[in-house]
Amino acid sequence: MKMPSIIQIQFVALKRLLVETKEQMCFAVKSIFQRVFAWVMSLSLFSWFYVNLQNILIKALRVGPVPEHVSFIMDGNRRYAKSRRLPVKKGHEAGGLTLLTLLYICKRLGVKCVSAYAFSIENFNRPKEEVDTLMNLFTVKLDEFAKRAKDYKDPLYGSKIRIVGDQSLLSPEMRKKIKKVEEITQDGDDFTLFICFPYTSRNDMLHTIRDSVEDHLENKSPRINIRKFTNKMYMGFHSNKCELLIRTSGHRRLSDYMLWQVHENATIEFSDTLWPNFSFFAMYLMILKWSFFSTIQKYNEKNHSLFEKIHESVPSIFKKKKTAMSLYNFPNPPISVSVTGDE
Amino acid sequence: MPTMIKKDDKAMEPPNEKPHRKIERDDVPESSNHIPPPESGVLKGGKVNSKTRALKAVTSIIADADENPQKKVNNETNGVQKQKTEDLSKRIGKFEYLFYKFLLVLLYICFGSFRYGQYQYHKMKLRIFSIIYNHAYTPQLIRQDVIPLKKIPKRLAAILEVKPVGDVGGGVTGLLNDASEIVCWTVSAGIKHLMLYDYDGILQRNVPELRMEIHSNLAKYFGPAHVPNYAVKIPHSNKIFYNLDGIETETDVGNEIEANQEKDKIAIEISLLSNRDGRETIVDLTKTMAELCAVNELSVSDITMDLVDSELKQLVGPEPDLLLYFGPSLDLQGFPPWHIRLTEFYWEKDNNEVIYSVFIRGLRQYAGCKVNVGK
Repeated sequence: MKMPSIIQIQFVALKRLLVETKEQMCFAVKSIFQRVFAWVMSLSLFSWFYVNLQNILIKALRVGPVPEHVSFIMDGNRRYAKSRRLPVKKGHEAGGLTLLTLLYICKRLGVKCVSAYAFSIENFNRPKEEVDTLMNLFTVKLDEFAKRAKDYKDPLYGSKIRIVGDQSLLSPEMRKKIKKVEEITQDGDDFTLFICFPYTSRNDMLHTIRDSVEDHLENKSPRINIRKFTNKMYMGFHSNKCELLIRTSGHRRLSDYMLWQVHENATIEFSDTLWPNFSFFAMYLMILKWSFFSTIQKYNEKNHSLFEKIHESVPSIFKKKKTAMSLYNFPNPPISVSVTGDE
Repeated sequence: MPTMIKKDDKAMEPPNEKPHRKIERDDVPESSNHIPPPESGVLKGGKVNSKTRALKAVTSIIADADENPQKKVNNETNGVQKQKTEDLSKRIGKFEYLFYKFLLVLLYICFGSFRYGQYQYHKMKLRIFSIIYNHAYTPQLIRQDVIPLKKIPKRLAAILEVKPVGDVGGGVTGLLNDASEIVCWTVSAGIKHLMLYDYDGILQRNVPELRMEIHSNLAKYFGPAHVPNYAVKIPHSNKIFYNLDGIETETDVGNEIEANQEKDKIAIEISLLSNRDGRETIVDLTKTMAELCAVNELSVSDITMDLVDSELKQLVGPEPDLLLYFGPSLDLQGFPPWHIRLTEFYWEKDNNEVIYSVFIRGLRQYAGCKVNVGK
């Protein structure tokens, strides 16, 4: 009875070895590809071409209809780090970088407002180490953004940043910092960035309910309606129209984000790529799609095809009129004859 | 805490049944309220959206070139004065502007033709799926399909919509038929709760017809002698109907047999939701809370997540686990926002019918099965 068990053990070991070598190979091939790709991208001619193509595409889309409020659920940073065998921190850093580049593109497209789900209240349940890294990263990025928003030469110049969410969960220093940054960028009118930092949509609704009740108690405002309620939410009047919500990394749920904003007439796009890999072209295609269909929708609403226009403008004299006529005034039909020959 | 909730409940009921608000809603032409997101709006349009029409629409943006740039210039001068240089470049770039418009139209046309191909591909896929997944009006087969799954949702929700009367399966009868089909599948799959949502509340208004339809459809699946017990619930007006109680049917035989069965064992509970249960209910809840606070029966600090959640659970129902949508691209149509927190969505691209393959594939996705038969 011992023999088969030994063979079995060896089999298992062999299998494991095979799987591991396969993984190693895959990883090696992948990294080589990545390196080659990076090398090609770094060629000056190619990068010149790429940048120009991007510019032209952006300028073209800009002249059409563009969503006013685009929102991102940045999912997949950890999986990205795992797949590249990097520490989790690197994954989050890469995610931050992606957000900044996409922000820049959105701004140039003429999008008025972008919001991003940076940190959920539920995320406090993650290991403390990771939460701390995220907090640190966030402060660093916040400073960077504030600096760039004030820099006249920078593409992000003239943008406003707002941190929304339940800030009572943050440390006092953090809150002070957030306040400072919000004040610095206050007068940016072109473009608003909402960072949802400790945010969940239910919390947002709860906070709005509380605020509405308090308002009602204070000044006895008699009516609370949907519009007023919406304006009281964290994102103000931007709450009502989030045209495009993009969620990466394959999950098909909202995970407590933007429920109120998105549950009516918003386009929700799900993408299978991980957030750090979410590229310019993927987003461009989504916005192009939105733009394409909203052009057709607008056209259908207006309902003015050229033919209809002409038809309407022609005076009614020239159109054939149906005149009412008695049945007995019609010309006589042919003789009716039965097949059986009866009279 | 529980005592306070009870108090709240009593106060909660009146605002829902205030007559004046209902009238307000009724005089508005309801179906015009909802503006679907562009993609599903266009794809659902049916015959209106021929290819030539889409082409015309796309090219029309060149024609109204004059409106947009002025608006943009206005916005920018209002906003930041330092950007005058950009304005200048825009004035110079009238030719450039036109060039980009043409380029955009070209992009649209490319994308449109790509999308058309994709549409055909999806349609083909759906046809294959409908051959693979066929229930043949046999509940045993549906159960067979469900058994290999690791888990099934506890509560299922589905968004339904009325199609134009002229189409196949259109009008109110079509909607009722769709609803009852879904009920049959859900019963056969062994799911105990079903939420049916339609924006205008047509199902809520046609409850007797719906119950008859469900009964006859269940009879078709299970045989007239073994119709499972079902309860139809309208959370908004807080009503529950059991089976065919109170409806006169042509053959009373069915009723007698049911009377013999255990009444309390209900195979499925169907709740009917409409747009009224969404934002409006939350705002109503806020109003009630404000009134209660005004008379000092409730303090603002008492308004917690748990309280709001339990109230909304009572007013609308619990959170569904899986939401099925039978339209071409995801459009939530104002489904109660509080209740879609972690709900998994499933819809089939470019599908516009209530078909079994969407149902079963939705369940498969929920179970986390990666086996895609037919690919």
